[in-house]
Formats: sequence, structure tokens, C-alpha cells
Amino acid sequence: MTVTPEELAAYADDQLDQAARARVAEAVAADPVLARQVERHQALKARLAAHYAPVLEAPLPAALVAAVEDGGCVANLSEARARRNRRFAWGGGVGLALAASLTLAVVLQHPAGDAALPGYASGELARALDTQLSGDMPQGAPVRVVISFADASGALCRGYAAGQGSGIACHDSTGWRLQRQVESSSATPQDASAQYRQAGSADATLMIMAQDMAQGPALDPAAERAARAAGWRRH
Amino acid sequence: MLALLPRLRRFATGLTRDGARADDLCQMTVERALRSRQQWHEGSRLDSWMYRIMRNLWIDEARADTRRGQTFVAEDAGLSVGADGGQEARAQLSDVDRAMARLPDEQREAVLLVMVEGWSYKEAAQIVGCPVGTLNSRLVRGRDALLAMLGEGQ
Repeated sequence: MTVTPEELAAYADDQLDQAARARVAEAVAADPVLARQVERHQALKARLAAHYAPVLEAPLPAALVAAVEDGGCVANLSEARARRNRRFAWGGGVGLALAASLTLAVVLQHPAGDAALPGYASGELARALDTQLSGDMPQGAPVRVVISFADASGALCRGYAAGQGSGIACHDSTGWRLQRQVESSSATPQDASAQYRQAGSADATLMIMAQDMAQGPALDPAAERAARAAGWRRH
Repeated sequence: MLALLPRLRRFATGLTRDGARADDLCQMTVERALRSRQQWHEGSRLDSWMYRIMRNLWIDEARADTRRGQTFVAEDAGLSVGADGGQEARAQLSDVDRAMARLPDEQREAVLLVMVEGWSYKEAAQIVGCPVGTLNSRLVRGRDALLAMLGEGQ
């Protein structure tokens, strides 16, 4: 019985139909050389996947996000809004938060003493996500929490805006995992009007991301208080 | 569409082997998709449609580069897509970049679509617009070349 290189690669990629898979599996089990080749195919795949994976985690360039928003959503805004309202009851907090987007963002500071896990919120951001209600921005607070919702897995997620950048974090057993991040260039000195504009556009981006991820309506203030009291555990 | 951007950016990075060009390619893809959105059929997959747009735009770009006699990416430029690793990890990452850069375009796109982007052979063949058997053999040649260059598991 012979196995072609194509079949062997397809076997390693799990792309064969049942009969062919069984036949190749038998050959691989009987031949250590073939088994070694399957391993090498799988190792190569893992190496390539790991090599390109950081791109998935990297913050999206603002221009790219804007291209999607300006072309895809704003042109269609009333339709998109109507659809969104049906499936997604945006609480009054959103309106407040959008109004608050004219608030100058303050650069986020991570206190040195805070244990920061990679990929998780720490410092001021973690505290704000834990305690702050959407649209509620204490005077001088470095983070604004814009919206809360549950994702498809039932995890509670919150969209936030901070001087350092905006994003969406979802709560898991470790803490607030940073799911999405929107790049912000506010690290460089700018005039105030540029920062106002940026805050507004970051909020629109957040809303669209939240809409993409959310399963069901945004949490209203009462649901948010209840979720906070329950430690943001999935429901 | 916004939710697709990270994946499209990963594919663009693999195709262009250059972060800035990858973002340009993404931008073009998004604009093209929005302009021709009436060609997308409701109910069909948006992601494979956009991959196809990106792939075709890249082919056009690459052809135009050849006509202009330009080679954009020096083989040893070794773009650092995972730049936060240690020195050893960095050296290893740029090995992958160098090896990918040496593949013929048609093998590179087959490798990227299946081994990085996770498309099935059939879906990858539809994105490229070739028969499944052709895709399969390009993929095998591409991965054999990569194994030889990277010495994976030897």
C-alpha cells in the first residue's frame, strides 16, 4: 500500500474523507518513517501558526477601523441603528457615555506595585472595570467604562475608553481579559481638539465591536449593579 | 466586517511580508469590499469573499511591482511580526520569514491559507480559484520546501 505525499499532508491536516483517512492511518501506524513525516507536518503547521499569531492580537490601526466604519456603517447608519435597536437595547448609559466622549482623556497610569498579567487589565483599568458603572465617570477618573454586555459564551464584557487606548475586556476566572484594543496615538502631544475627535471616534469603534461580540442586549444600570455585586461572573 | 480585520491583517502580513504594506492591502480590501458589496450574496460567507478580494488585489499589486521592476521586500529584511520575544525567538521568527519569502507566490498563498488561516483545502481552492488537486500539490511542494529550509524536526 502506498501513500502519496499529498495524501500524507492531507492526513496531517485532517482533510481526508473517512475511507482515505482510515487507510492512511493504518499505513502510518505500520510505518515509523511515515509517522515521523506526519509529526514534521504538524510541527511545521504549529510553528507557522505561532509565527503569525501576534498579528491577531495586535491593536488595529485606527485608519483601517475608520475605513470600515465610514464606508460600511456610517453610510448605512439608520439601517444599522434600527437593526441594532431590535436586537440590542442600548441603555441610557450609552448616550451618556457618548456625551462624555468630549471629556479629555487622561493618560492611564499603571501603579508599579500592581501585579500585571499579560493580556489582562491591571491597575486603574482593572479597578474601573470592577467598580465603575457605564457612563458614570468620577471627576478626574482615568478610565471611562462605556458599556457592559454578555458575549456568546456568557462572559460579561465591558467596553472602556482610557487615555492609553480603548478596548473591550471580558471577565474570566483570572480577571479582565483584554479582548479587543483600539489603537490610540494620544501618547504623543496633540492639541485638545484632536484629542476630542479621537475620543469620539474611539467610542464609535467600541460600539461596533461591542455589537459584534454581544449576545443579547447591553446591561441596563440595574443589571450592571447586580453583575458588579456578583463579581462579574458569567451567568 | 470589523471582526474579520485581525484575520485579514494576518493574511495580508503573510502575503506582503511587510507590516506597512499589509495594512495598505487591508485598507484596499476593505474599500473594494464596501464598493462591491452588492456582489456579496447574503447568506454566503463574508470572510472567504473578503479573503478572495484580498488575494486578487495582492496578485495585481505583485504584478504591477514586477512591471515596475521593484522588489519590495529584501529577503533578509525579516519582518518582526512577533517582536516581543527574546533574541532566540526573534532569530527563529525571522527564519520563518526568510523561508516564506523564498517560496513561489502560489505555494506561499496555499501554505498561508491552509496552515495559518485554517481554511479547508476546498475553501482555499475556492479563494485562489483553482482545482482542489492543484491547491493540494502546491501546498505539498510549499511545505516540503519549508521543511527543507527550516529543518523542522530533523
